[in-house]
Amino acid sequence: MSLRNKSIVSKLVETGVTLLLATLVLFIIINLAPGDPIRILLGTPEVASVNNQVYQEKYQELREAYHLDDSILVQYVAWMKNVLRFNLGDSFYTNQPVIIELGKRMPATLLLTIPAIIIQLTLGIGLGIISALKHNKTIDNLIRLFCVFLSSLPGFAISLMLLYLFAVRLKLYEISHTVSLMRLYLPTITLGIISSPALIRVVRSNMLEELGKQYTAFAIARGVKKRAVIRGALKNIMLPIMTLAAHSSVNLIGGSVIIESIFSWPGIGKYALDSILLRDYPVVQGYGFLMICIVIAINLLVELGYIFIDPRLKRPERKIRWGG
Amino acid sequence: MKILNSYSIKQLRFWLLLMIIGLILCLAGCTGQNSMVNDNTLEDTTNKNTELVLVEREISSNYDPNFYPGSNHYIKNGSAEALFKVDEQGVVQPSLAKGFERIDKHTWHILLRPEAKFWSGVKIDSEAVIASLERSRASNIRALPMLEGLTFTPLEEWRIKVDTERSNLFVPLNLSYMELCIINADKSHDSVETMDMSGMYKVVEFEPKKSMILEINDNYYGEKPNIERIIHEAISDQETRSLAVLSQRADIAMQISNESIAQLKMDENVILYSAPASNTGTIYLNLRKAKFEDIRVRQALAWGLDREELVLLGSEGLSTPTSTWLSSNPKYKDQRTKIYSHYDFDKAEDLLEAAGWVKRDDGMRYKDDNLLHIKLMTWGQDKALGETIQNQWSKLGISVEVQYGDYSLIMTAREEGEWDASIEAWTTFGDEYALLSTQFSPEGSGNYGGFNNSQINNMLEELKNAETEQRKVEIATQIDSLAAELAPSIYMYPRVETTAVNKRLKGFQVHFRQFENAINNQLRFE
Amino acid sequence: MGRLKVNKNPNLTIFLGIFILIMIVISCTFANAIAPFSPIEQNPVDRLKSPNLTHLMGTDQFGRDVFSRVLYGGRRTLVAALLATVVNTLLGTALGLIAGYYHGKLVDRIIMRIVDCLVAFPFIVLAMIITSLFGTGLVHLLIAIAIVWWIPFARLSRSVTLKYKEEPEILAAKVAGASDVIIMIRELLPRIFSPAFILATFKLGSLILSMSALSFFGLGAKPPTPEWGSMLSDSKAYFFQAPYLIIGICIFIFFTVLSLNLIGEGLRDKLDPFEIIEI
Repeated sequence: MSLRNKSIVSKLVETGVTLLLATLVLFIIINLAPGDPIRILLGTPEVASVNNQVYQEKYQELREAYHLDDSILVQYVAWMKNVLRFNLGDSFYTNQPVIIELGKRMPATLLLTIPAIIIQLTLGIGLGIISALKHNKTIDNLIRLFCVFLSSLPGFAISLMLLYLFAVRLKLYEISHTVSLMRLYLPTITLGIISSPALIRVVRSNMLEELGKQYTAFAIARGVKKRAVIRGALKNIMLPIMTLAAHSSVNLIGGSVIIESIFSWPGIGKYALDSILLRDYPVVQGYGFLMICIVIAINLLVELGYIFIDPRLKRPERKIRWGG
Repeated sequence: MKILNSYSIKQLRFWLLLMIIGLILCLAGCTGQNSMVNDNTLEDTTNKNTELVLVEREISSNYDPNFYPGSNHYIKNGSAEALFKVDEQGVVQPSLAKGFERIDKHTWHILLRPEAKFWSGVKIDSEAVIASLERSRASNIRALPMLEGLTFTPLEEWRIKVDTERSNLFVPLNLSYMELCIINADKSHDSVETMDMSGMYKVVEFEPKKSMILEINDNYYGEKPNIERIIHEAISDQETRSLAVLSQRADIAMQISNESIAQLKMDENVILYSAPASNTGTIYLNLRKAKFEDIRVRQALAWGLDREELVLLGSEGLSTPTSTWLSSNPKYKDQRTKIYSHYDFDKAEDLLEAAGWVKRDDGMRYKDDNLLHIKLMTWGQDKALGETIQNQWSKLGISVEVQYGDYSLIMTAREEGEWDASIEAWTTFGDEYALLSTQFSPEGSGNYGGFNNSQINNMLEELKNAETEQRKVEIATQIDSLAAELAPSIYMYPRVETTAVNKRLKGFQVHFRQFENAINNQLRFE
Repeated sequence: MGRLKVNKNPNLTIFLGIFILIMIVISCTFANAIAPFSPIEQNPVDRLKSPNLTHLMGTDQFGRDVFSRVLYGGRRTLVAALLATVVNTLLGTALGLIAGYYHGKLVDRIIMRIVDCLVAFPFIVLAMIITSLFGTGLVHLLIAIAIVWWIPFARLSRSVTLKYKEEPEILAAKVAGASDVIIMIRELLPRIFSPAFILATFKLGSLILSMSALSFFGLGAKPPTPEWGSMLSDSKAYFFQAPYLIIGICIFIFFTVLSLNLIGEGLRDKLDPFEIIEI
């Protein structure tokens, strides 16, 4: 077996172990959380009942049907077996396969997050570069104030203000619960703007450092054009930018609950939160599994991106490693 | 020169291209999925004679109305009907059934409409109705209390005999319950195609928990509605729901939060319908705790609540105070100020003193060196109420700890007995015996504190066997008053339910049971 | 065409930052002297009044003076948030440094896999567990936050470490026989310091904001104690009726973040004075 294959195998083993441990921990923790999914599922009758016998029977029956009385480890093994057959179980609440439920919401989430990431990148790189070039001038200070301002306003305030402006005042935006391109722009822009300050900051500080490097000075001394200098510097700082964008995309996929809820955008973040509140174990578990997979996939992409962008990582001794 | 590596610029372009391709693929994927969703964009708002948009916090989670939340949302949007309905005065009226006859104190007859049909055209005869009710009994735990002790037998094609275990049970009231909509039990109810119900609208598109589109049911037996399509959507965020009416995209928005009302009132295109619901916001006391054994402590807590202020701070002044449990039911509204007629701080202090809880220098009350401490559990959405109670009781020298939680947290605390007081609002509309026994009989499921009083138990038994309606009301009133006096729990005010309706929509009916009132066949746009 | 330029007055920036920070700290510490009203006394007659001369920031739904509540709330919230941020920064930086230094080795892999798991983990579930197992006070809120908020710091310090560990000076130190710990502390840590500091200033703001989401689950200070997180979450329902309820808190968060940010930027210019080229 060649060295390269060996490293691929070890990488695969590592990924497998991560998946296994992460889902196991999630499994244990969600089961430890107070609350009983079956009680929530059965619902409390609006009119309280005197005869609790039938309720108890039904309750026991469902607990057995969902194997909730088995030990957590047994339940976990059963779940894992299903996962290997590409089956994440059925939601307690809707009886639909979790994989379908998540699959239905995933396009909406991607539709929301991918343009938001593009906006974030545009704003981040654009304003970051301007801010660095005009270091300590008025425009730089304005951009920095803007970042601080954005990071001190709660997300719900920004979202509600925009929603009020566009839906009620300007009547340009429709408040409904559907996924359509006409309904996309507002949540996307909001999400993109809210998440941009971190990137602006990273770009600015990296760019400043890059502009302070000797080779930049040499380039300028040799009469290289301004655009080319910026491009070169930008290329050199692609690494941290990409890393940050990749990681923030994970946050945007799973964590834009407030945006999804205020704009009634049927994405997976809100769905996961609702399922957590309902103790819909299979859905929470499926969501955790999906997120882990996304994280691993994004990490892989970032690693590949590193190799593409940074020639240093192409040295032979590096080549065999995918890094951590 | 390193920075002028043209290769790297190509790399940049490559990434940019990759992103754009990803975006395009994603958009394409989603527009594909969109075709099933009604893409009614903004132009539709100009042509509203054909379409009504109804939004509320949540909609059905399942095609099968017997799954919670299901049935009441189907009744709300006009796609399903129960045999009877309660009108806004609280009187039971025929709905899917034509009428009822009381044969004797254990037997009722229900008369069906020969012209009534399910969406599919299948007739709704005795067999079909019984099959549906039995299906609910088997699969819907929330329907159980209403079906307890009822036996259904088909007498004729359009006549059902109902035998009751209990005497003098008003069966039509039970059958008007929101979980008991009549559906075709032969169908599987697991997709739009296999749904078969009886309402004036039928479901044509449905994404569980998100949105539902309904169109007029041509097989409907009664007067057909004016509006061709109903779009029923879930908008979970309460501020967004208010904005949905303000933007005039939604024609009816339900469960409007009390806090949004001030803003909605200012808009001339919106009409608000607020009605105190028939439920009573109650502070249940955990009677298993020693400190609540003394009736004087419980009464002091009841006297020491300024209900007017609670209404103002807890419901934005929209509700009306109630001092007994039944008094939020329109029938018993005279009970409202019967026991704890006013806020009496001094009386509360005296009662606490008499019970041996003495104020010390720190302003707190102690008895045998034990601090009078109350752990009050309340829902995350009832925070204002919790803080107001805390403030009022603190003035009496009681140390109050308020704990918010979601459903599970509160349920767990109740099961483990780790609470002193807990807020809940049960419905007070229905059969008096059933209602009161859930609250005050030792095995009632709404009796969290473990209240057990032999006098009340006897009176409940008497209520169960009461012959006439008048006698029923009499005993119920007595139980209600006595219970308030014994104070196993403390009554505050009914929750307020507000619906915001677009001004152009005419024919909306206010109702104290919200699920009965959203869509009716008189609705039309002007 | 190019001209060399240095930030000439980092001291001024730092001074301005420290000045604002001190003002905030003073106003919160001496809240009982400055605040015109009691932060917990309810006064229903005066509820939801917009800002005026008596109530600078208006009154909330219980008729309490928002300005007083913001000041009193700041004590608790700022201390808690600063504490959490410091813990997170230290923890994250240390782990990231180790992971970066031993890049590709087992320890790096373990740390980064833990990071992956935590990122994918629904945060609310963690918060719930803490609520049910330990309780709901402010301390528990901090624990919940501390479990996940170190991640960005770990990532940052790891990437900075990766970037510098192959630099000639560090290789030289290695050749000269410096131990790993010495290299990490003497050579790498100073380079991580300023980006981590600036990241921390931004995280502080979002940390306070994110506390509001958790107050729905009962995590945080118990009522009626004023605390910014729960004040923010309570004000959402009144957002259109009384938008001024959030403004006070936002102003305070804004100035806190700004002051720390100024200090951070100033310190970097001072400690690591590089020249940048104006083009």
